[in-house]
Amino acid sequence: MTSIQQTIENSSAAVSSFRVPRRGVGARFLFLIAMGAALTFSSVVVQGQTTDATQPPQRLVQTDVKLVIGGDTIKNNSRVTLTVMGSSLYIAFGKTAKQVDCSSILDISTNEDSRQDITGAAKLATMAIPYGGGRVLSLFSHSVDVLTLEYTDANGGYHGAVFVLDKGQAAPIKKQLVAMGAKASAPLEEAAPANK
Amino acid sequence: MKHHFRAAVPVCFPLVFVGLLVAVSFAGPALAADTSTTPKASFSSIQIQPMDANDIVIPPEFRVAVYENVISQIRKTGKFQHVYRGGDKDAAAAPDLVTLHMTAQSFKKGSQKKREVTTVSGSSSIVLKVHITDHAGQTLVDRDVEGKVRFFGENLRVTYDFSKKVAAIVRDTM
Repeated sequence: MTSIQQTIENSSAAVSSFRVPRRGVGARFLFLIAMGAALTFSSVVVQGQTTDATQPPQRLVQTDVKLVIGGDTIKNNSRVTLTVMGSSLYIAFGKTAKQVDCSSILDISTNEDSRQDITGAAKLATMAIPYGGGRVLSLFSHSVDVLTLEYTDANGGYHGAVFVLDKGQAAPIKKQLVAMGAKASAPLEEAAPANK
Repeated sequence: MKHHFRAAVPVCFPLVFVGLLVAVSFAGPALAADTSTTPKASFSSIQIQPMDANDIVIPPEFRVAVYENVISQIRKTGKFQHVYRGGDKDAAAAPDLVTLHMTAQSFKKGSQKKREVTTVSGSSSIVLKVHITDHAGQTLVDRDVEGKVRFFGENLRVTYDFSKKVAAIVRDTM
């Protein structure tokens, strides 16, 4: 009987000795997770603070921008991708890319305009609509942003480029380029209330 | 036989008329070329200066489009070996360089929507004084050129119309 009791006690002791370390592992595990999460979040905050305080975001990409004129090697009216990266603006169309240094930009301006919804071949087709139906379709238009760049090449030659973007997309590009050292005769729209 | 002849007259007459028109259209320029006696000056390079807005409010996209279109159209004339942009350092070394200046005289933006709906209003126009001088500063061309969009097309098309006219002047003068 005593031997049986001892066995039971031993087994209970074994069980209890097994349970105690298990609780310790769980607490440590939870502690590690909590510390890891705290460190992760604190590092993000620190990084965010440093990037906000010292420099603006490094890269801005705007796809499906219409290059109206001034692409040199890129054909007029092409749909290009504008990328502001490092201290340059890249105008890319397919495999062709043109680089413009922000320091060489003499002026950036943004403007609002409107473009008709029906253009190209469809526009020609609307002319065939009887009773002036084509004219009525001319009333449908949408607002766009026009971004104009004036810059110089390596030889000092003056260049200009005109882009048409969806409404509200030109201002961030202008802001980014100005932050990178480009000049702008008209101030940024966001800068006006801050001065008041 | 008589019947066939009568039937052939209405068919032949337009053909003969068109043939005459074609002959005259080909002979016209040839005659005009014979009568013009002024010799054309030839230059190997041209420098195109950016537009002077002359206190007239012209949106920057129009200024830039005028400049780029003029560069493009003058290159297309094939009259010059080099077309230099304003500020290009290489232009100083060109031996017989002519310089093209543009000064704004008037600008009306217009409205594409109005143009296409009403036909009679909303036209866009831009007038610039085009001044071309040679290396010595002697004036070769000095005239006002107007670019217009009357019926169809975007407002920026005035810059294309203007540049085509400038290219035609350059082609005729040089």
